[in-house]
Amino acid sequence: MRTFLILTVDGLTNGFIYALVALALVMIWRATRVINYAQGAMAMFTTYIALFLITHGVTYWLAFVITLGAGFALGSVTERVLVRPVEGRPALNMVILSLGLLIFLEALAPMLFGGQVKSFPAPFSRIDLTVGSTVLYVSPFDIFIVGAVLAVMLLLTLFFQRTTIGLSMRAAALRPEIARLLGVRVGNMLTIGWGLAAMLGALAGLLISPAIFLYPNNMDEVLVFGFIGAILGGLESPSGAVIGAVVVGLALSYVGGYIGSDLETIGGLVILIAVLMVRPQGLFARGQQRRA
Amino acid sequence: MLEISDLTVAYGGVLALDHVSLTVPEASITAVLGANGAGKTTLVRTISGLVKPRSGHVLLDDRRLTGRAPESITRMGVAHVPEGHGIISELSVDENLRLGGLWRRDRADHRVAVEEAYELFPPLASRRAVAASSLSGGERQMLSIARALASRPTVLLLDEPSLGLAGMVLAQIMARLRALTAERKLAVLLIEQNARSALSVADEAVVLSMGTVVVRDRASRLAGDESLRHAYLGF
Repeated sequence: MRTFLILTVDGLTNGFIYALVALALVMIWRATRVINYAQGAMAMFTTYIALFLITHGVTYWLAFVITLGAGFALGSVTERVLVRPVEGRPALNMVILSLGLLIFLEALAPMLFGGQVKSFPAPFSRIDLTVGSTVLYVSPFDIFIVGAVLAVMLLLTLFFQRTTIGLSMRAAALRPEIARLLGVRVGNMLTIGWGLAAMLGALAGLLISPAIFLYPNNMDEVLVFGFIGAILGGLESPSGAVIGAVVVGLALSYVGGYIGSDLETIGGLVILIAVLMVRPQGLFARGQQRRA
Repeated sequence: MLEISDLTVAYGGVLALDHVSLTVPEASITAVLGANGAGKTTLVRTISGLVKPRSGHVLLDDRRLTGRAPESITRMGVAHVPEGHGIISELSVDENLRLGGLWRRDRADHRVAVEEAYELFPPLASRRAVAASSLSGGERQMLSIARALASRPTVLLLDEPSLGLAGMVLAQIMARLRALTAERKLAVLLIEQNARSALSVADEAVVLSMGTVVVRDRASRLAGDESLRHAYLGF
């Protein structure tokens, strides 16, 4: 029972972080019909920015806010400068481009910040809470992770459902040509979408790096797990992506804890292959076909 | 007033429009008739900026539209109701309608314009919150026109509004359109394959054939001229 609780809390908190990455991937997929393989590397890079700020005397929370802003900037500049020129070209162009950006960022980070593994601070204690002599298996930082991710999802939902820009972005993603005929500046909506996606990634980097440490490819696995979560959710549905990512987090935690931690990554890939074979449209999609 | 001069459009090497000139005065409906592939849809898509012409230009009250992006042309007052109505079925009726003129800075007047659009088409007002996918064909067409009107356009481009509509519903929508054109001083370009319905509401009519204007006349006269009707319109 004790092991099960520990693994469940672990799986849930990791799953919530994967959910941020999954959401970022889904947002970009829906708007641009591409998978941004550099999503994790962008998050790694902004986490380095956070660490740089913190080690230079900036408080954690100010660095936190600046990093989210840096994420938005990195995402929107990427869309403007790199993605826009390949728009309307074969999908493979964008795949190569995002892989190129991944390699570039993972090479640039050690040049700027050093390549060794670094520890990254958590804003709250990572020691499990206790009531009297009973251990709760939940640390204040775990609570913060879940709370922060839920808050971000609530804000995103409100943004998309209740604001003018949110409605314009949905129209632009669903029917770009119709949106343009309605006066929506679709190009700007894409820029904002990429910015928001990278901001979600930046938050994921800040939340997971205390546990996995910071090094130039520390987000590779997180990207893969977020991607599997997004596929599980059908790639089209934000809520599906969140549920899918939490399922992946839990499943991997149980695999790692009960079978062996070496098998975690393989466990993720097994889930991916199983889903693609049995239900390629995802667990929640209403049976629509998807290309490449 | 919308002025189209010498518009030539080609897809690859094939001419879709060949030196088409046309004016659409305000407070009037100009019908563009012709068979499939005559260039009707290309004409409206070029006006709204989705297709770039090889030569010629489009002016709106002496301001040049040609060369601008579709979203900018819309913001200059040209509302395009595309073929097959262009309703975004994943969004609600209200979200679809609000998208018409969502860009306008005058938020208060945008809300007024949306409410006015609901008043014009009462069947929509009772179904604001439902997904647009649950609307009937006629309701979708109403929503599409209402959405265009919510942006307070000066030019309205309608591409085959009769498509898939029953005669009664179509007649109602056309009557509504007739009244609105006078009331709001709209310059309406009505693309139709259904010549009979279009000629019954239009002031002027042109017939396109193979990308060129072959007939240009008062709609009433065209409807009355049996030989022209037989030659170009098939009724």
